[in-house]
This record gives sequence, structure tokens and C-alpha cells, in this order.
Amino acid sequence: MFNFRKPQYRVSAENLDDLRLSDLKPGEKGRIVEIGGSDQFRHRLIEMGLTKDIEISVDKYAPLLDPMELIVRGYHISLRGIDAQKIVVTKST
Amino acid sequence: MGLNIAIAGNPNCGKTTIFNALTGARQQVGNWPGVTVERKSGRFKHLEHKFDVIDLPGTYSLTAFSAEERIVQQFLLNEKPDVVINIIDASNLERNLFLTTQLIELGSPMVIVLNMMDMADEKGLEIDIETLATLLGAPVVPIVGRSGEGIDVLKEKIVRVATELSTKSRPINIPYQRDIENEIEKISNLVKQSNKNLHEIRWIAVKLLESDEQTRDEIRALNSGEAILKQVGQSIDRIERLFKDTGRAVISHARYGFIQGAVRECVIEKLQDSVDYSRRIDRVITNRWLGLPIFGLFMWLMFKITYDLGSFPMDWIDAGVASLMNLISGLLPESMFASLVIDGAIGGVGAIAVFLPNIFILFFIIAILEDSGYMARVAFIMDRVMHNIGLHGKAFIPMVMGFGCNVPAIMGTRILESRRDRILTVLINPFMSCSARLPVYILVAGAFFPENAATVIFSMYIFGILAAIASGKLFSKTILKGMSKPFVLELPPYQRPTMRSLILHTWERGYLFIQKMGTVILVGSILIWVLGYFPRNVELDRDYSGERKIVSQSYSQDLFKLTLNFETSIKKDRDSYHSEMVEYPASTGYKQLKAQYDSLKSHISEAEASTLFALRQQEMGDITERKWIGRVGKVFEPIVAPLGFTWRESVALITGFVAKEIVVSTYGVLFGVGDDVDEKSHGVISGLRASGMTPLVALGFLVFTLLYTPCLATVAAIKRETGTWAYTFFSIAYSLVLAYGMAFGINYFGTMFQWLS
Ligand SMILES: Nc1nc2c(ncn2[C@@H]2O[C@H](COP(=O)(O)OP(=O)(O)OP(=O)(O)O)[C@@H](O)[C@H]2O)c(=O)[nH]1
Repeated sequence: MFNFRKPQYRVSAENLDDLRLSDLKPGEKGRIVEIGGSDQFRHRLIEMGLTKDIEISVDKYAPLLDPMELIVRGYHISLRGIDAQKIVVTKST
Repeated sequence: MGLNIAIAGNPNCGKTTIFNALTGARQQVGNWPGVTVERKSGRFKHLEHKFDVIDLPGTYSLTAFSAEERIVQQFLLNEKPDVVINIIDASNLERNLFLTTQLIELGSPMVIVLNMMDMADEKGLEIDIETLATLLGAPVVPIVGRSGEGIDVLKEKIVRVATELSTKSRPINIPYQRDIENEIEKISNLVKQSNKNLHEIRWIAVKLLESDEQTRDEIRALNSGEAILKQVGQSIDRIERLFKDTGRAVISHARYGFIQGAVRECVIEKLQDSVDYSRRIDRVITNRWLGLPIFGLFMWLMFKITYDLGSFPMDWIDAGVASLMNLISGLLPESMFASLVIDGAIGGVGAIAVFLPNIFILFFIIAILEDSGYMARVAFIMDRVMHNIGLHGKAFIPMVMGFGCNVPAIMGTRILESRRDRILTVLINPFMSCSARLPVYILVAGAFFPENAATVIFSMYIFGILAAIASGKLFSKTILKGMSKPFVLELPPYQRPTMRSLILHTWERGYLFIQKMGTVILVGSILIWVLGYFPRNVELDRDYSGERKIVSQSYSQDLFKLTLNFETSIKKDRDSYHSEMVEYPASTGYKQLKAQYDSLKSHISEAEASTLFALRQQEMGDITERKWIGRVGKVFEPIVAPLGFTWRESVALITGFVAKEIVVSTYGVLFGVGDDVDEKSHGVISGLRASGMTPLVALGFLVFTLLYTPCLATVAAIKRETGTWAYTFFSIAYSLVLAYGMAFGINYFGTMFQWLS
């Protein structure tokens, strides 16, 4: 009866020009522009504080190069590269 | 009637620590109905007030993202606790306050606990408690849960909030943008009209805007439910058009907006360079190059300590069980009852009790890993490997533990948050060769591959790992498809674990093991005992005691002849002996004859013993064949025949269901060596070789032993951790089919291509 699935206005994975969180190197920082992926995934990240404009810094990559360790809002969180790729960022210093 | 209190908070904020500080030892651990999420409850008294406390699962948010979150949301809505204690990690305020904003909306009377004040100090954070309390509209109590500092103040505040009605009117609302507030207003009005009795209308309206399924279902049940949902649909559309995002995302952003404002007002970051010790430790422990070797070292240590240290008390328990059996067999006259108690009950449970030290040590080490914060790092380091089979990095720990014993390993899957991950890990865990399978490998490999025993045994381990990986991939592509959650893992700061918490954790899990395994094992071992004990008298085709008599007679005749001969020779020799210097018995002649005689004599008694032994083996085999267990074995013989197995193998495998190492003692019984054998007994090895088993069949048997249905204790653990018989039976059936298929393949292709011949 009602359509609760919203239109596709989210970041499209095809837009390869965007800088992704997964592109950042250890020690680099970025600000979140947009999070793509499934609703469940986006909501989870937002609820954990990865909101728009928040600064996120890449602490390091795991020994096997995946996942990566990030610092956001003063705590440490780990995401897989495949998920970090869904997060568009702008580099900050 | 005590007042009901619920403790809510993020994972790792110190809920359990504070729960323990409040309740002391007066607590119970159980499961939430329908799910294997631990449910902890306890009670405490303060002044004249009694309190019942529930430690809710740790969650980041109140939505239906996981079983834990559903539980928390439902508990708070349905049970309406008198006071909610919201625990907040003061060193990580912003993220922790997110849940608080939801709890505020939910509207239960609340006490906010700022835990980990010591960590906040270390970080150089100064928090204005008064202002925070005003902003959040609830009393705020700073605490150091670990040392218990502030617990008394907390108790006082709880009493105040629980008894003062004034605090029940919630003074604050989380403010949203005007456009959202408008929609909340519209929905609230409709809801209010349809049901005047509903509390916390604002909470309902916000949840509806977030498209929360539970709330939608509740509203749909109302009179004008459809109308309300229609309005909700329009509101969500509006919000999405305006903000270009989902209602839930927009609202979450607004919550963080509120939080950031609050934090800005009441937290001063002192301008000192605080040291992030955790980060420093992690520079080494999760280092690109050192991370894996250090992890390997920890795993090795964990294994080593568990099994080496555990082997001392293991021996004591072994000895204890043996002397208990002796004691009881001395007290009870020989009877069926005595045998039931001694061989069935004590023997069976004793076989499992032996593992207790291992299990407790293991749980203790796991508690250290968890409490220190290293477990999260394990997930971080191993995620890439485990991701391959569709699992979370943490699942690596139970897999490694499986090499010791599948039971604690399966219980260790509790460290995984998602139910799907837990089930998958539980299902593939039995393929990790536990230590109980090793004696079987050593026996069979030693009997049939004496030169390459080590290689064969090692291949069994590898083969098990491969089976686990393949099955994991299979399951995650079929029955457990698509239930996987995104990997979002918090890496909490390292902590020095407290002894109290370690002991509590260890005891809780260990106790569950004793409780659950005890009953299952008892029933199982009695069953096997019954099968082996009845029927009491069996008719044998051969008269073994007669044969034994004949054998003994013939050997004693030989001995008699030999002695006679010896005496005659001596007599002769003595007659021809003339020296006066040396007494005859000291002469060389006598010595020679005597030596000859002794050696022949011992030859004869050895031959007698070995003939009698062979006879005994045959008799025991014959008897067992005619007991129920042998008949069951016979029934299965045609089924296992394509694998090259005989009724002996099927009996051994059936008894191995109680515990896999029993396969060895069953062979002991079948070959008449008695059940007190170990894997290096010659009797069993020679019996196995003589039984007509070929190396090829032996290989199939090894693979079957590796793969087939885990022991009873493991089955009980699977039932416990998956919570359903469906997965339990599935696991049994799957492993049986896999074992059968593999052993069949080995026998079939092996015969065809003449391997190992
Ligand atoms: N420094 C410090 N550590 C604390 C304090 N309170 C608890 N901890 C530690 O924080 C860690 C987590 O505590 P728990 O009580 O297990 O946390 P929890 O919220 O129950 O965690 P989950 O069961 O995962 O939800 C443990 O290592 C505690 O020892 C505190 O006030 N200060």
C-alpha cells in the first residue's frame, strides 16, 4: 500500500571519481560526505557516530591488509575495505 | 516485591562490572526466551528497599538490528522497569549518548551512570556533571566500576528516582529540526486520538518515522492503525524529499547534533597531551609485521597452557575416579546394580570429568582475552582469513580451540555477536580434530602405517580443516545465506582484567558445562552400558573354558615331560661327576643344563599365555558379538560393508559416539585385552591386523572417525548453543553423511586404483 523504500538518492558506487574512505592511507584523515550501501549498513554506521561531516582518521590496516582501523569521535572502530569503499570522504588535514 | 531495575548501555561500557558490584553473588544466569543471548538477573537491598536487577545485553542503539537490540527494546517497552540505569563510558561520551537519547524518549525513569571516570581522567576530559544532568534531564552519577568508587551514591540515586514520583515526568525532549517536529506532531496527534492510554507518544512517533517494524506492527493493530500509517508514509516521503535521506538516518543525525551540543557544553578537554596507551600497545600487537606472529604465539600459549597445565588435575581426577570405582566395588556386592553404577555411571561421567580442568583453564584464558580487549584484536587480525568462509574474525578462536575439545570450543562461540555466525561456527567446529580423536589415530595409524604414522595423523588434522572450510563455504552459500551482518567492530581500549571478573566469567561458563554435559553424558553412558551388559548370559558356539582346560593340560604335560627329562639328565650328569673341589650344583655342567631347562620352561609358559590370550580374544569377541551392542553392530554391518568395515568397526564407532576415545577401549574389549588399554597396546594392534582390516579400510576408518557425528557432549553443546534440535540433528546427519561418503570414496576408488596395496 505504501512504499517505504525510498528512491535511490544515495551515493552510487559507479561514481569512481569520489574519494573513498578505503583510499586513505594510515595517518590520513577525511570528512564523511556520504555513506552508500544497504540501509541496514548505513543506519548502523550512522548510529555508531559516522555521521555526515564527521572527521574520521585511518589509524592502520590489519596485518593481512584488511580490515582497517579507524578513529572516529574519539574511539576506535574497524571496517572491512569493501565496506569502507562505500563511504565517500573529502580529505582533511 | 522488589523494585525492577534494568541496566542498559553500549557493549563494553562496564554494565556487567556494575551489575556485579550492585548484586554481588546474588545473581542468576539464563537465556532470553528463544535466543541464546545470556540473561543475567540479580537482586540487592539498599536501606529498606529491595531491588531486582536485570543486566540487558549491550547495544549501540534501540532498533531491531540484532537479537540483542530487539530484546532490549522489548524488555523496556513491555516490562516497564521502575528505573533504567543507563551506563555510559565517560571516555567515549558521544557514541554512548546515542543510546541515551533513545532511552530519554522511551521515558522510563532513568539514572545515568558515567562509568570509567578513571579513563576519562586519563584522556584529560573534565566533565561538568551538573550541566550534563540538566541537559539530559536525569541524575548523573560518576563511577569507577572497577574499583567500586561511587556505587553507594548510585544506590542512593536509584532509591530516590524509584520512589520520587516527580522524576517520572520527563522534563526534556530531544529537539529535531522544525520540519521533523511538524511531522512528529502530526503523527502524535493521530496516535493520541486513537488510543489515549498510550504512553510516550513522542517515542512512538519517532520510531514510526524511523520505519521501525515492531512499532509499525503495534500501530497497525490499533483501531485507526491504517490511517496513522498512511500519515506516517506521507511524513516519511516529505522528510526524504527534504533531507535526501531516510527518516531514520535524518533522525540519527539530529540525535548526534543534540549530543555534540551537549558535549560541547559540559566537557572540557584539558589542553594536555594525553597519552593513548591502548594505541601505543596496538602499535606493537596489531602491527603489520608483528601482529600475526604475536597472535600465533598467544594461540600457541593458550593451547599449551590449557592442555599441559590441565593434564595434572586431569591425572588426579583420573585417579580419583578410579579409586571411587574401587571403593564402590568394595562396598557393593557384585551385581547388575554395582556394574551399572561403577561401569556405566561413574565410568561414563568420569570420562568427561577428566576434561573439566581443560575446560576451566580454557574459559579462564578466554576471559582474560575478552576482558583485556585482545579478543577484538583477534577479530581484527584474523578477519580476512575467516571472511573467506563467510565468518567474522572472532570465529577463529573457537576454531582453534576445537583442536583441544569441541565442547568448550562450541561454547566459546558465544563470543560471536551474530546468531548466524554462531550457528555456522558451531556446525563446522566438530571437524577440527579434537584431542579425543588422537588416540584413535595413533592406534589405527600405528597398526597399519607404522612407518608413516606421523604423516597420516597430520593429514587427518589437515583434512579436518579442509572439511571445515569447505562446509563453511557450503553453508554460507546455502542454509545460512544472506543473514550475515556487516562487519563493524569496535576496538575498545586495553584494560587490565580484574581477578573477580575473570573468576566470575570462568565459573559461569564452566558451570553451564557441568550442568548440561553431566546429564547428557550420564544418560548416554548408561545406554551404552546397557547395550554392552545385556543379555546377561550368552550362548557361545565354542566351549571356551573346555578349550582353555585342554590347552592348559597340554602345556602342563609338556612342562611335566620337560621337568622329567631335566631330572634324568641331571642324574646322569651327577653320576659322572667326580670333582671333590666344587659341589655339584656349582659345576658348569649343572649350570648349563639348568639354563637350558629354564629357557625351555619359560618358552612353554609364554606359548601357553599367548594361546590362552588368543582364545580369550576370540571369546570376548564372540561374547560381544552376542550382546545387544554386537547385535546392533551386526545390524549396521551391511550398511558399513561398502566402506570395508565389519561389525567390529560399527560397534567401535557406535560406542565412539559417547566419546571418541572410547573407540580405542572398545577395540580393547573386542580383542579381549580388556578395556584398560591405550593406543599403544600390542594386543589391540595385533588384533586389528589379524582382523582382516586392510590399510585402505583403515584409512577410511580414520577419516570416518574424524568426520562422523561428534560425541554426545558435543551434541549437547550444539543443542545448547544453537538452541534448536533442528540444527543439532542437521549437524549429526551432515557429519554422518559426509563421513560415510568420504570413507566410501576412499574404499571404492582405493580398491579400483589399488591404492595402498
Ligand atoms: N578503567 C576502567 N575499566 C572498567 C571500569 N568498569 C569496567 N571496566 C572494564 O571494562 C571492561 C568491560 O566491562 P564489562 O563489565 O564486561 O562490560 P559490559 O558492558 O558488560 O560488556 P558487554 O558484556 O560486552 O556488553 C572490563 O575489562 C572491565 O574490567 C571502570 O570504571 N574503569
